[in-house]
Amino acid sequence: MLESEYQEQNRFFLNMGPQHPSTHGVLLIVLEMNGEYVLDPQPVLGFIHRMHEKMGESRPCPGFMPNTGRMDYVCALPYNHGYVSLIERKAGIEVPERAEYIRVITSELNRIASHLLWLGAYLLDLGAFTPILYGFDDREHILDILESVTGSRLTYSYYRFGGVCQDIDEKFVERTRAFIKRLRKRYGIYEKLVTKNIIFIKRTENIGIVSPDMALRYGMTGPNLRGSGISYDIRKNEPYSVYPEFDFEVPVGRQGDCLDRYMVRVREIEQCLRIIEQALDRLPEGPIRSKVPKNIKLSPGDCNFAVEAARGELSYYLIGDGTSTPYRLKVRVPSYSNLSCLPELGRGILLPDLVSILGSFDLVIPEIDR
Amino acid sequence: MVISAIIVITFLFLNAIMMGYAERKIAGHVQRRPGPMEVGSHGILQMIIDGIKLVAKELIIPFNVDRTLFRVAPLLSFTPVILPFLVIPFSEKLQARDLNMGLIFIVTMGSVNVMACLVAGWGSNNKYSMFGAMRAVAQAISYEVPILLSILAVILMCNTFSLKGIVGAQQKIWFVFLQPVAFLIYVVAGLAETNRAPFDLPEAESELTAGFHTEYSGMGFSLFFLGEYTNMFIVASVATVLFLGGWHGPHLPYGEYLGVVWFLLKVYFLLFLMIMVRWTYPRVRFDQLLNFSWKYLVPFSLANLLITAVVVKL
Amino acid sequence: MDNIIKNFKGFLIDQGFDAVETDYEQRGYHLEVVLTVTQVREFAKKAYELGFYLVFVAGFQVLADPETPSPHSGLAVVYQYARHDRQYRIKACALVPDSLEIPSISDIYQGADWHERETRDFYGIVFSGHHNLKPLLMADMDVDVHPLLKEEAKLKSLDAVSWPSEAPESTE
Repeated sequence: MLESEYQEQNRFFLNMGPQHPSTHGVLLIVLEMNGEYVLDPQPVLGFIHRMHEKMGESRPCPGFMPNTGRMDYVCALPYNHGYVSLIERKAGIEVPERAEYIRVITSELNRIASHLLWLGAYLLDLGAFTPILYGFDDREHILDILESVTGSRLTYSYYRFGGVCQDIDEKFVERTRAFIKRLRKRYGIYEKLVTKNIIFIKRTENIGIVSPDMALRYGMTGPNLRGSGISYDIRKNEPYSVYPEFDFEVPVGRQGDCLDRYMVRVREIEQCLRIIEQALDRLPEGPIRSKVPKNIKLSPGDCNFAVEAARGELSYYLIGDGTSTPYRLKVRVPSYSNLSCLPELGRGILLPDLVSILGSFDLVIPEIDR
Repeated sequence: MVISAIIVITFLFLNAIMMGYAERKIAGHVQRRPGPMEVGSHGILQMIIDGIKLVAKELIIPFNVDRTLFRVAPLLSFTPVILPFLVIPFSEKLQARDLNMGLIFIVTMGSVNVMACLVAGWGSNNKYSMFGAMRAVAQAISYEVPILLSILAVILMCNTFSLKGIVGAQQKIWFVFLQPVAFLIYVVAGLAETNRAPFDLPEAESELTAGFHTEYSGMGFSLFFLGEYTNMFIVASVATVLFLGGWHGPHLPYGEYLGVVWFLLKVYFLLFLMIMVRWTYPRVRFDQLLNFSWKYLVPFSLANLLITAVVVKL
Repeated sequence: MDNIIKNFKGFLIDQGFDAVETDYEQRGYHLEVVLTVTQVREFAKKAYELGFYLVFVAGFQVLADPETPSPHSGLAVVYQYARHDRQYRIKACALVPDSLEIPSISDIYQGADWHERETRDFYGIVFSGHHNLKPLLMADMDVDVHPLLKEEAKLKSLDAVSWPSEAPESTE
């Protein structure tokens, strides 16, 4: 038939990546295109695969701590949190209350930093050059606060089995409170520049709609799932650490388009600020680390621990064999499942819409590839 | 004649340097950072040093390109935008040539810019460049129509294509007050013709890794840049001549020559607005861009033209 | 459906699955199911109908044991399911037979698509019925390299890495 022959002639393959300004990391997406329409996007992974799971099996369990900071470098503290909590659950180690509060405060600060970076990068993909600099301005404050207590700006390795490695002091508390006040005043800037911007709304509304059933089949979690209307947050559904003591909401979207995912993350920033405030108010005195045997033996059997990272549900699965080296360590990262729905979601859309969808998923490729 | 040509070209380069500097400083302040500060006091020498750097760079010609087309494209982008300067009236006595078809001449030269994009995209032998080139062509064609229609509305009111005549007809009242719709449509469509954000899809960085000028480096790249800034200047000066009264302003001694001060003030004000818009808004999607032109700008400018025709006839 | 979830263990045992309740504080999941190779797809279908989402599919390797009633290669696949509306996490484990083949669940849960490709990359387990079992994280030319397989000396038996089985009378 003439029309199908004509269609055939217009098909071509375009390589998006691995070096590309808007795939956030080294990700190659092979696009089969027909003019401006994407027929079949196929992500190709593995460019930054470093085999963290083998490293988990080849060294005693404290040796894996730095790896946790390097899988998702943008929001590394929840990764730390998951791993130390996993070993604590397995070996039956108690954590003092002050340490739990410090863990929550620093994790939530890191979550805010991650969302600010995502906001800037997403708008940069869409062509607005200014919000990323505003976001980075706010993020610098968080990075300075966290650097004063952890020693690193990005790839944190701050938690230890049984607590944290360094205590926070009055200066930290003051700076955090000042930061909370400052960020609350800046919401107006982001509202006016981004959220109410008609071009931004046109680029994100009704684009990349993820239905709840699709989210279930792919195992999507985090703000991507909450954008589709399902209120699932590990901090509320399977509470860990001291999260049950805080009063915060879980924002959800309505239909699962890019604008919903954007709004969910922006509203999450405010909820994180609420948690930090409450934690600072109730911060107890006490030790920051409990006594832990030098050689932690992991008893035979498996164990699982799930935390809410900035991108979704992060699950560590460990099989112990009686020694201090894990027999098998599996890290289930949220962006892996979030990205796997791209071949189905991206069929027949325009190329700029694909860029918008990828940005709204908040992917960090090193965590996908591990 | 030769002297005026030399003056024009010198002015062009100075203008490009100044506009580049202004853009980077304004961008910096919009983004809450100071912009270039190191080179010279407050970064004044930055553009000159950048120019030297670009000239000194190696001209990379990729392997499989069409050599003639690849080399011709930057020249094709820059040369036609110099010519309109010969007809723009900077002040009453400062105009190189007063063609009685001046406006048509300018619009024609603006259309040649599209060919440069197409030649660059095709000659680069690169899918991304081709994409950018095709988008540029579609965009330019769609936005020429509103430009022409809004210009026609002004022509209907003053009965002449000569730019000097048009400025002369605005002695009593500037046309921006009589034709606000045409002014707005002209400025928006002019932004789209020059491929400036929010309409900068042919160069969309995050989608197409620099679009049709992906493969260019050094002097070729800087020629494209110069062409873009000069094009912006021409759009702004045509808007000033047609709508904002050209060189008219409060009285100055040697008014016939120093009218250029008012002219440049108005032009740079419009350029400032264009630069601010670039750093504030994200990019529109391509089909939204074409929709906007054909479904909104063209009907509005047509309606404006008809109303003008009716009012003039009465 | 709520009633089914409330007594999920009983429901599964009725259907013929080997389900045991576990201590969440100790292990991090609520139910442990040991699946045979033929039950994998059935279990996945039931889980999908009841609204569970697939958390991950992973493999692990233990000492191959030819003496057991169903000889296995030493490789095993772990599936983890969880729910959005209540706290309930299930771990299902299936031992892979000598042929290294196990049915794929990627047509029921499309998220398993990539998890199964990764498990094949790391262990060499072939998921039959998968539409595109090419290397995902490993390079295309390393299709026969399976990094997570352990050396002989480091392998332990399945008992050595499992929880000691409790007597039926002990409290859960």
